[in-house]
Amino acid sequence: MPGVDLEAVGVVTGWGERLDALPDDATAASAGRSTLTIERPPLGGERFRRATRECLLGVAAVQALLAKSGREAREIAGGATALVYATAAAYGSSNRAFVEAAPTAGTLHFPYTATSAVPAEVAIEFQLTGPYVIFVGGATATIEALAHAGQLVARGECERALVLAVETFQECEDLHARTRWLLDRPLVEAAACALLGPGTGRLRVSDAAESSALARHARRRAGETLACEPLIALALGLETGDDRLNVTGEWRGRRLGLEWALPHPASSTMGAQV
Amino acid sequence: MAVDPVTIVAAGVVTPIGADLDAFWSGLVEGRDGISTIERFRVDDLRVGRAGEIKEIPQAPGGKRPACRATQLLLAAARDLLGRSALDAEPARIGVVVGTALGGVEQLEQALDDKDGRARAVAGALYDSPGHALARRLGARGPELTVSTACASGATALGIGAEWLRTDRADVVIAGGFDGLCRFVMRGFDALRSLTRERVRPFDRRRAGLLLGEGAALVLMARDRDVSGPRLGRLLGHASTSDAAHIAAPHPDGRGLTSAIHGALAQAGVGPRDVDFVSAHGTGTTLNDRIETAAIKEALGARAREIPLNSIKGGLGHTMGAAATLEAIMCLLASRDGIVPPTLGYEEADPACDLDYVPLTARRARPRVSLSTSLGFGGCNAALVLEGKA
Repeated sequence: MPGVDLEAVGVVTGWGERLDALPDDATAASAGRSTLTIERPPLGGERFRRATRECLLGVAAVQALLAKSGREAREIAGGATALVYATAAAYGSSNRAFVEAAPTAGTLHFPYTATSAVPAEVAIEFQLTGPYVIFVGGATATIEALAHAGQLVARGECERALVLAVETFQECEDLHARTRWLLDRPLVEAAACALLGPGTGRLRVSDAAESSALARHARRRAGETLACEPLIALALGLETGDDRLNVTGEWRGRRLGLEWALPHPASSTMGAQV
Repeated sequence: MAVDPVTIVAAGVVTPIGADLDAFWSGLVEGRDGISTIERFRVDDLRVGRAGEIKEIPQAPGGKRPACRATQLLLAAARDLLGRSALDAEPARIGVVVGTALGGVEQLEQALDDKDGRARAVAGALYDSPGHALARRLGARGPELTVSTACASGATALGIGAEWLRTDRADVVIAGGFDGLCRFVMRGFDALRSLTRERVRPFDRRRAGLLLGEGAALVLMARDRDVSGPRLGRLLGHASTSDAAHIAAPHPDGRGLTSAIHGALAQAGVGPRDVDFVSAHGTGTTLNDRIETAAIKEALGARAREIPLNSIKGGLGHTMGAAATLEAIMCLLASRDGIVPPTLGYEEADPACDLDYVPLTARRARPRVSLSTSLGFGGCNAALVLEGKA
């Protein structure tokens, strides 16, 4: 079966729009703030009038990937691109808004309560009509998403796969405050995506006994970003130029590891793509 | 690229027409109507207060009842499944993948009502909580995942489970779908005016909308070579695709569904001529049934007019995350028993829906290869190709 390469990563976080906006130590940099938020991206036009903030963050992450990798949107449009989305909690704000809204609010708001609203807006914006899967969970769901995307590419069911994760916390901050046993602090809103394509890279997923150094590094610098964390870790790993990326993810007492043997030192072609 | 088939060893369900697999199947064949007035929560302020509500979920004797209804449904389906087949694998080699449109969202309503605490209710509101509870109850320590491709989730989950087996992530996988009725979803569909005040009439000229239902359905999957005993059938292929057209409505030409059918047939290594039966999504809305009919005709060509097609939502309601798994199980039982359940509510032909919908009464037929189609919010489409014991 053909291999899979990591072509580019795009990252937007509550620390800023670039990877180098990440502090060295998120806990210290948060200065006691429990949540670092991202403003609603300034995407205009009638099409985005109803879209929620988390939908726009998904679009912004893909735009960041395209901009940094020098690709045009038309290069990923169509049925040859798969979209695999992961989130632990980005639907929380729309769900809450719907529960607390007036009974007449449903027509506009209800479709946006679906977990599929974020990838739907991304698919519509970039006309992604290929394979399409949505996983719910923290970092382990994103590792599953990367594994599935790799399988789709390797089997030739698509020419490339976009793995996207979005997490927002602001609107449910009071609820998250009740689940300190499940979530670390600071909570950092984020949207991140990775583009996978055919190549000679080898991607392997298995249980992991302990967190990888790269995952710990991503957590230390970014804070709690749930499903976005493995993608941020990949972005940080690309910067090092290592040809073997070892990313782990934890959620609900489980830890999954993803080992990605890249065909060449990553930094030579991809280090600037975050 | 064709992939190796995966065996579906056994199934377990809880539904509005029957609290276990046998009752579900006899209810389908007999045309049992599971639609009733909702009793569990307030509906007097809604246009429509009827749905496929399960009046009593079977509980484990002496077991503690989970607070979350969605979890109760999943565990009930798991008990039915495990009463039919043992989980014969090391815990670390047992995978659990379930699909849902709503997860434990009813827990969010409760958490918002209780401002002082209830951390468990907050965590329960995460959509992957019921699936996690199932994995814990089963003692499964292999891969665990919740899929949420809206109302196509139950199909996508089976596809992911099959992939885990093919890639040796697990030796057995419990896969399926679930969703519980709650005010959240009733309010939403009511506001969208998607719910009918009449009966659900999939593909009928007078169809006026859907009714919701609740339930859970699980299958036990294993690699073909690892199964020597009885089996229900095989999953040959799966594809889930995107419309990229509208947040809540299907693409007007059904392009995503057509693509999903092509993808699933390719994975299965079969062509339209091999398909003997179609289990349609068939919600009973004007738009879905017309577009789905067009997509099936586009994908199967002339074969679409030669084979029976049904929708089981007339009696069950639309069970959302459970629907596609229930329909996949129905396909395999149809092969086993040589009978195709009817489309309840179908009485008058619609020129835009011009296939053989098996109206009103079950039909003697023994499909070998079945196609099951699903659609959901967010431009989600999924197709499964199944092989029964014909």
